[in-house]
Amino acid sequence: MTNEPIIELHDVAVEFSGFKAVSGLNLSVTKGELRCLIGPNGAGKTTALDVICGKVRARSGRVLLKGQDITRLSEYRIARRGIGRKFQVPSIFREMTVRDNLEVGYCKHLGVFSNAIRFRRAERDGLEKLAALVGLDDVMDEPAGYLSHGQTQWLEIALLLAQNSEVILLDEPTAGMTVQETMHTAKIFNSLKGRHTIVVVEHDMAFVREISDVITVMHQGKVLAEGCAADVQNDARVREAYLGSGGIAHA
Amino acid sequence: MKGNGHIKRTLLGYFAFCVAILIVPIFISDAYLLNKFARYLVFGLLSVALSLSWGYAGILNLGQAVSFGLGSYCMAMALKLRTIPIQTGAGGLPDFMVWNNVQTLPWFWEPFHSYAFALFAGIAVPVAVAFLIGWFIFRARVSGVYVAIITLAMLVVINLLIIDQQRFTGGFNGITDLTTFELFGVQFDAYSTALYYLAAIILSLTLLLGFAFVNSKTGLILQAIRDDETRVWYFGYDVANYQNFIFCVSAAVAGVAGMLYTLVMEFASPTFLAVPISLSIVIWCAVGGRASLVGAALGAIVVTGVQGSLSDTQAFLDTWMLIMGALFIVIVLFLPNGLVSMLELIWRKKRPLQGSASARLVASRASRAGQATGHRAVSSR
Repeated sequence: MTNEPIIELHDVAVEFSGFKAVSGLNLSVTKGELRCLIGPNGAGKTTALDVICGKVRARSGRVLLKGQDITRLSEYRIARRGIGRKFQVPSIFREMTVRDNLEVGYCKHLGVFSNAIRFRRAERDGLEKLAALVGLDDVMDEPAGYLSHGQTQWLEIALLLAQNSEVILLDEPTAGMTVQETMHTAKIFNSLKGRHTIVVVEHDMAFVREISDVITVMHQGKVLAEGCAADVQNDARVREAYLGSGGIAHA
Repeated sequence: MKGNGHIKRTLLGYFAFCVAILIVPIFISDAYLLNKFARYLVFGLLSVALSLSWGYAGILNLGQAVSFGLGSYCMAMALKLRTIPIQTGAGGLPDFMVWNNVQTLPWFWEPFHSYAFALFAGIAVPVAVAFLIGWFIFRARVSGVYVAIITLAMLVVINLLIIDQQRFTGGFNGITDLTTFELFGVQFDAYSTALYYLAAIILSLTLLLGFAFVNSKTGLILQAIRDDETRVWYFGYDVANYQNFIFCVSAAVAGVAGMLYTLVMEFASPTFLAVPISLSIVIWCAVGGRASLVGAALGAIVVTGVQGSLSDTQAFLDTWMLIMGALFIVIVLFLPNGLVSMLELIWRKKRPLQGSASARLVASRASRAGQATGHRAVSSR
């Protein structure tokens, strides 16, 4: 059970009008794991997440979710199969209240007709708890556009928790957070281990060390190294890839 | 919507509006005035239709008049076939067909002998047309200003088509000389109190049902789509389905408004689905407040009302358009959420304690900003 891969990328290539963002990428994440993707700028980390959640199409190669091919599915069908995504630029619904944001995220029922006769009182309690978990419970009725940057990040994390996907893909979830906020986020992620499979793209090494089981280092669209924090940091190829940017800890 | 208190207050506003329009005939018995007010209510209904798609889902439909006009023609066709004295041709042909040498009633006119069918078609035809256009637009993930361009183009195409097919549609003249609509023994003469009540009741029901709808989960998801369309796809919602759904609901409401308009005006004309009226709807919505159904209705009534009284007054005969334009600019500049936001502002002024939640938010932001000062240095150690 524990070693069963939930997401597999086989020889995936993505091209943007000639530029190879990702080529020959192989990646396998096991169920319940928290995987961190790191690497220098332009290594293809975000593109790797994009190709899993269906935002960009793989030019070649295959993406498997629990052994099933999802390479050609559109993003909402991939989402329905259990992959949630947080974007680098926090994308929440700014004109809506925090509560309404969370209710959109709570997407057990997707049909337009069934939702037209569904009123929004039922799932209230669960969403309050969720908001409390990320410290947004006292601003539930404020428009999300009023939130600070850190709070916005948390709101989007809470949206993913409301969505309750089996697999959660996070692109720089702690960018713009204070140290305290970052550590709180690490605590949340650690508590999610086992229940969700999480893939995180992150630059903050302190945060990565705090949460990760396995770190995958990407460079020029490929996997360069994989292993625990200490292994990766001592890897000669990784040191070379980060050359000039002051080493991995300063990425 | 911002919590329970806000919803209750808004609902109260809706009820007040409905009561206000329903008691008008108690104070006004002048048939001409009543007809004019009924016309304003129909515009209000049309404005609600656009508010549903534009205000709540961000779909700026510049071709809203297509639905309006089609509804109007469906009603006019049914009434035309029942007009006794003008059956000049064989088998009760409408007069304009006789003038155009049409020998037999076209097949698509036949079912309009039945009122039930006409009432059904007045909703179903606009919905079918909207569904077809919407299917192409939303499946192809067209959004923003391109939706406005495509719907405007469709409006022009359908308008030309109706003018061109004079033999079946009456062309430029439209369908005139209609009988009085009668339902369950009640005559809905254009200048009757009955017709005013019909318009007022339909507008009230639409507002209340619409209010329930925009507060449903579907209404919520539509607002999310308005805010950030691409994000909603990633929760697994089929955004195109949601968009087409509200596009069709909006068309249905506009179709009903069109049917009523035929009764109020006593004819149907290609001007009902022309560009000027379609653009006017946008102005009504913007003035009243597009993200509020009752605001949109109010906007239509205020704008057309002021327009009517200005253009009727000798002093403003030359300048009323200018005054309307200035009014529009002032409202859009200073009340971007329309006239209804003024009510909200007045409420806030009266109840300053209501703002405590925002004060708390500002305080918590300030403290977080304080913590953030040492952030970058430490985290990239």
